[in-house]
Amino acid sequence: MKELRLDQIEKTYSKTAANKTESFGLRSIDLTIREGEFFSLLGPSGCGKTTLLKLAAGLLEPDSGKVWYGNSDLTATPPEARRFSMVFQQPLLFPHMTVADNTAFGLKMQKVGKKERLEKAEAMLDGVGLKGFYHRFPDELSGGQQQRVALARALVANPRVLLMDEPFSALDPGLREEMRELLGRIQKELGVTILFVTHDRDEAFELSDRIGIMRDGRLLQVGAGTELYEKPVSTEIAAFLGIKNIILGNIGEGRFVSADGAITMDVKNGEPEGERFLILRPEALQVADGNIQVPGDAIRIKGHVLKVKFLQGFYTAIVQAGNHELECQLFRGQSEQLEAGQQVEVFFSQCDVRFVME
Amino acid sequence: MKKISFWILLLLSLLLIGIPFFALILTSVSVGWQWPNLLPDSLSFRSWDYVLRGSSGTWRAIGISLLIAFIVTIVNIVLAVPAANALVRYRIKGKWLAEAILFAPIIIPPFVSVMGIHLTFLRLGLTETVLGVVLAHLSPTLPYMVRALITSYSTLSVDWEDQARMLGAGPFQRFYAVVLPHLLPGIAAGASLSILISLSQYLITFIIGSGQVVTLPVLLFPFISGGDPAVASAYSILFAGMAILALLGMDLSLKSYYRRKKSVSVNGRGAGNDEGTSFRPN
Repeated sequence: MKELRLDQIEKTYSKTAANKTESFGLRSIDLTIREGEFFSLLGPSGCGKTTLLKLAAGLLEPDSGKVWYGNSDLTATPPEARRFSMVFQQPLLFPHMTVADNTAFGLKMQKVGKKERLEKAEAMLDGVGLKGFYHRFPDELSGGQQQRVALARALVANPRVLLMDEPFSALDPGLREEMRELLGRIQKELGVTILFVTHDRDEAFELSDRIGIMRDGRLLQVGAGTELYEKPVSTEIAAFLGIKNIILGNIGEGRFVSADGAITMDVKNGEPEGERFLILRPEALQVADGNIQVPGDAIRIKGHVLKVKFLQGFYTAIVQAGNHELECQLFRGQSEQLEAGQQVEVFFSQCDVRFVME
Repeated sequence: MKKISFWILLLLSLLLIGIPFFALILTSVSVGWQWPNLLPDSLSFRSWDYVLRGSSGTWRAIGISLLIAFIVTIVNIVLAVPAANALVRYRIKGKWLAEAILFAPIIIPPFVSVMGIHLTFLRLGLTETVLGVVLAHLSPTLPYMVRALITSYSTLSVDWEDQARMLGAGPFQRFYAVVLPHLLPGIAAGASLSILISLSQYLITFIIGSGQVVTLPVLLFPFISGGDPAVASAYSILFAGMAILALLGMDLSLKSYYRRKKSVSVNGRGAGNDEGTSFRPN
């Protein structure tokens, strides 16, 4: 298998001249990106994801650790010889070249003949929906079109790995979605391996086969989107993925008791004892009303509604239980029956519960 | 209203640029033009005859002037590109000192440095040679080239080169395909100044060349101070023509380069690079 492997990568550097004291580092990162996989590095800005991408590209040199592609060690190989491609946040089209020449640039560097490389470039431009734009200059295109050219230019040279550094974050939301779709389709068509950096959860979840969540120079958890969401390994990840229901408590004698005593539940056999955080996804938490059959083994919590929120197609209720404000997704119609101050019972099923140590 | 101000501007610039030239032309063909006559009594082409023909060595001087200016400019480009690159992109200790030394010739009168240079060149045997004059011309011209290129480099993000790198471009290809097109307007601005300043050097050329390297200003000066205004005027016109033609030639070659690159967009992106360079008449 031709996979991209980052092996014990470390890198420290002081950020800028302005704040010399603040040093920043990647700590011992191990990561394997499989052939043909769409892998996203997800994290807030400044978490080191772009640094990691540039290390993979070779634009930065690691302090220690190695970059492998298949069985070859690329650590000392300069970026131009790695046969990776990269799409940056900005399109970075060469302003003095036509769209076709821009697209064919990588092939030209590979010494492909003029006729052949222009043919391939034009075919790739057709693929990204820019048929007939071949002889335009970059400044005659819109931002979205420019980024399409950048994508075509990166793909046409048939890269071993395509690296993408927040390529759509400079675009309008509508355009971003369109580009996402395009990228997803092209990736499946060409089967290219992609390492994608983003701070946009939706983007990562929609496109990726697997996601690596980064924070403060560490890779916190790697897994498929559903795996990360349903089985986060820490409260940090749960919080980053937008799960707000995180409850500190204790597990002892087969029971979990929250710190304020408002929530108690039996836990599965074999759950280790000690201080734990309970993580409850908002859609696992439901408001019990007359219309819903509450399963017998469900865990019930009493509380009162603080407010009902509407967010792009679904309603959420914030329910106060003890010291906790629980976010709870509502079914259609439920929102109309609920109002602030109302006493409610919420319930969740044993299997939707996740305990983490930190 | 707009039309009127346009005509006024045109008239004003014609007066400002045209009248001195008109006076020069008139002087160059006059014989004994004295106060209080508004126009010369008689006309003669004696001065032009002297300047353009015979043993005056004008054509040779023009050739040497242009040769020196051309070599100086090429050397300036070769020196200034890496210098500007380093000054803009690297965090070097004592960068201010390097900059101060590079820009010192703008502030320090050339006479000061040229005396020392002269002594050194005497020991090295570089006086009275074109090479010596070329080397000496570098000090007043290089700052302008560096200045122009610093502006160019500071508007060129490293991302562009990284992008080219990621597409497989080696160092030379990156420079040729990405950096050079971006620098070109800056190089053009710097080269214009470099050519003009080199062409108009009298003092440095005279001292280092010791009268053996005869450029046009070296021919021209004795006539200005020696009291043959007709010949001096003819030389001045010739000098202006030479400078204008040199700049025009550079402009044309630049335009043909852009046409070859099929470029219409570089002007839009790269324009404004000559901001920050100011012409200092020498």
